[in-house]
Amino acid sequence: MSDAWVRLAHVGMHADRLRRLVDDMGSPDDVVRAIVRGTINVPDWARAAAGVSAARRRVQLDEAGIRLLLRQDDDFPARLAELPDTPPFLFQLGRSFTGLAVAIVGTRSCTSYGRRLAEAYGAAVSEAGWSVVSGLARGIDGAAHRGSLGGPAPGVAVLGSGIDIWYPAEHAQLGRSILEAGGLVWSESPPGTPPVGWRFPPRNRIISGIAHVVVVVEAGVKGGALITARAALEQGREVCATPGDVGRRSSVGCNLLIRDGAIPVHEAEDLVESLSLILGQPTTSTHRPAQAEVETREPCPIGEFLQRLDAEPSKAMAELGRLEAHGEVTIHNGMVFATLGTGQAFVPTVGGAPEERKG
Amino acid sequence: MFAATHSVALVGIEARPVRVEAHVGGGEKGRLNVVGLPDTAVREAKDRVMAAMAVSKYRFPARSVTVNLSPADLPKSGSAYDLPMAMAILAAAGLIPRAACEVVALGELALDGTVRPARGGLASAITAAELGLPCLLSPEGAAEAGIATSTDIRVVRSLVEAISVALGETSGGTALPTLDDEPSAPDLAHVRGQPLGRRALEIAAAGGHHLLMSGPPGSGKTMLARCLPGLLPPLNESQALEVAQVWSAAGRQRPSLSHPPIRAPHHTATGAALIGGGSGVPVPGELSMAHRGVLFLDELGEFPPNLLDALRQPLEEGSGTIGRKGISVKFPAAVQLVAATNPCPCGFYGDHRDPCTCTPRMVERYRRRLSGPLMDRFDMRVRVDRTDPAALVGPPGEPSEAVRERVADARRRQQGRPTINGALSRPELDDLDMTDGASRLIERALQQGRLTGRGFDRVRRVARTIADLAARQTVAEPDVAEALVLRGAA
Repeated sequence: MSDAWVRLAHVGMHADRLRRLVDDMGSPDDVVRAIVRGTINVPDWARAAAGVSAARRRVQLDEAGIRLLLRQDDDFPARLAELPDTPPFLFQLGRSFTGLAVAIVGTRSCTSYGRRLAEAYGAAVSEAGWSVVSGLARGIDGAAHRGSLGGPAPGVAVLGSGIDIWYPAEHAQLGRSILEAGGLVWSESPPGTPPVGWRFPPRNRIISGIAHVVVVVEAGVKGGALITARAALEQGREVCATPGDVGRRSSVGCNLLIRDGAIPVHEAEDLVESLSLILGQPTTSTHRPAQAEVETREPCPIGEFLQRLDAEPSKAMAELGRLEAHGEVTIHNGMVFATLGTGQAFVPTVGGAPEERKG
Repeated sequence: MFAATHSVALVGIEARPVRVEAHVGGGEKGRLNVVGLPDTAVREAKDRVMAAMAVSKYRFPARSVTVNLSPADLPKSGSAYDLPMAMAILAAAGLIPRAACEVVALGELALDGTVRPARGGLASAITAAELGLPCLLSPEGAAEAGIATSTDIRVVRSLVEAISVALGETSGGTALPTLDDEPSAPDLAHVRGQPLGRRALEIAAAGGHHLLMSGPPGSGKTMLARCLPGLLPPLNESQALEVAQVWSAAGRQRPSLSHPPIRAPHHTATGAALIGGGSGVPVPGELSMAHRGVLFLDELGEFPPNLLDALRQPLEEGSGTIGRKGISVKFPAAVQLVAATNPCPCGFYGDHRDPCTCTPRMVERYRRRLSGPLMDRFDMRVRVDRTDPAALVGPPGEPSEAVRERVADARRRQQGRPTINGALSRPELDDLDMTDGASRLIERALQQGRLTGRGFDRVRRVARTIADLAARQTVAEPDVAEALVLRGAA
């Protein structure tokens, strides 16, 4: 039985269709046989994929470091297993999922305001000990992931493409950073699957499914974020949304969600407070990190940053230059960003020997 | 009967002597023929010359007149030959003594016989000095040529006066209109706040570095750029002469001789307007008019990429060459480039008051428009934020005067080096004196992948200037650290 599921996992069929076929034919073995025989209409490559033996597939996955979770197995995430439209299997990179998760999603074409907010949310949620789940997409998704990297809770990225295809390509490094930070990546699609449009809506139900709360930061009137929010409501998850200007394109979706009963959230602290009513008190202590760390974790205009360092511009610039040379901050387009992944707090002092710093 | 007088033809900013020969002989009555590669403006001279003669009570010879502009293979353009042609014709017709032709004359004739200015007054004065002849110029032409002190310049207001001056009957006005030598650049004292921008500007002035400023609209980028000429050391005599020559060739008069010029072409300017060119004999563009001064490109991202690309080579070589059929012209272009740009299409990316309404993709695309070879020329790329309203009512900033003194000191320290710091090449930079701390910091930045090869050079150039401003013989660690920030994104 599990052998048949391993083979079906590599066919890359829409989960709904696969479930119907298994229900109609009685067992996954019958479906595999029908595909191989050609009585079910699938592309040629999919039929060929179904023909490869489960043993061979297991070796391939092992070599690629990919785990295949089957629904009937014990290590399949319980929250997903109980869904009516549960995915029958999941490809996984990284370690197994434990703990509580909060999905932070939103539009790909976000504003810089939305991006900063999503990053702050991601940081606060992870800091509170809850995993940030999102889709690794451009815009809000990526920003939320990025914000979460510094915190203690591992992140979860659910892909619409194959698990070995980073999409968008510029987020490849972000995806790897999530894995390095102890997070994990899931996909329903077999390795090598290109990012095609119809695969994205079904993956959104996994994002909302694993999460206890779905936070929508910015969303237009249509789009994946609202699909995730709808799936969340069907699955009985809480939905939070960030209000925006009435009529602003990137906030219409969020405002509609709030009208329909979503919990409005404001600053990151407010989000954590709302979440703790649903999820219980944060598992890690919500200690306030050093002021400098908080300030640099969010991108900051270079002028403001310099003012905090020293009153005299040349000394302030020299200090910022030292921070940059040591890889603690990045300056991009007039903004100062704290470098990801170092997790090190630094206290800006002027004139200190740079050798004494932690790199 | 024959007579010849002298004038000049401009080739770029240089003048070539031209002999204006006139022959009055038999043939058709009242006919004037001009030969020697004249353009339309020169050919039309005959009507102006005839009218000017008539009102000046000279009768145009009742015979066929031929005027030759020699050398005959050099293209002549413009209205500058009206005056010498009239004098040569009158002398050839025997209406005035031939001695009147022993001058270099330049000027357009109005129909009422007055002399109007023509392009190249300064160049003809220089040529006149070489030929050992007095130079007859319109009052405006004399004003711009006044800087050529070795020439005997005579101001003439009309054709009649020109002839009497040439014959030595009257002296002609030699008094030159005084030039306004007050600094025209706004004073830095009017710039409130802007610590980062001020600092970058001072370093740019001290080392001759090209500077790019990025910031929201209304943050004062333009104001800062306009202050730069007031921080630069005044031009010495030979530099002032070079600049005046370019302006004279462009038909423009310099408002002030010793202050470095600033030119700010709009982004809709054509290639010819920016680099130089035009039909016929090329004239200098904005780039050359900014020679020994500042070329300010506002809204850098709006300039067509091919135009910016065309700037690169002249910037590198300090001069530009424009080729035309049979003639190749070299224009000086030793300019300091200052550019300003918005950080994104709406302009407010990173602003602390108005939120940016652009998507990150739009911001990225806008930024990418600014990449390319020209960007490597900017040693410094700084962010200029809008001034905190509180600072607007605060005390005025440091005046230009004080900054100019520090800049002058720093420039003096550069005198022993091959060039000013902004033009130091990689081998020269490799010989730079640096403290161990400074080298370690640069190495660290290189190891961290924070610094590219080009960025490495830029940081060293700017660090050298910062050390010069601090009167340090050796480049120290704080100099490098500050230069790292000023270099901007890699």
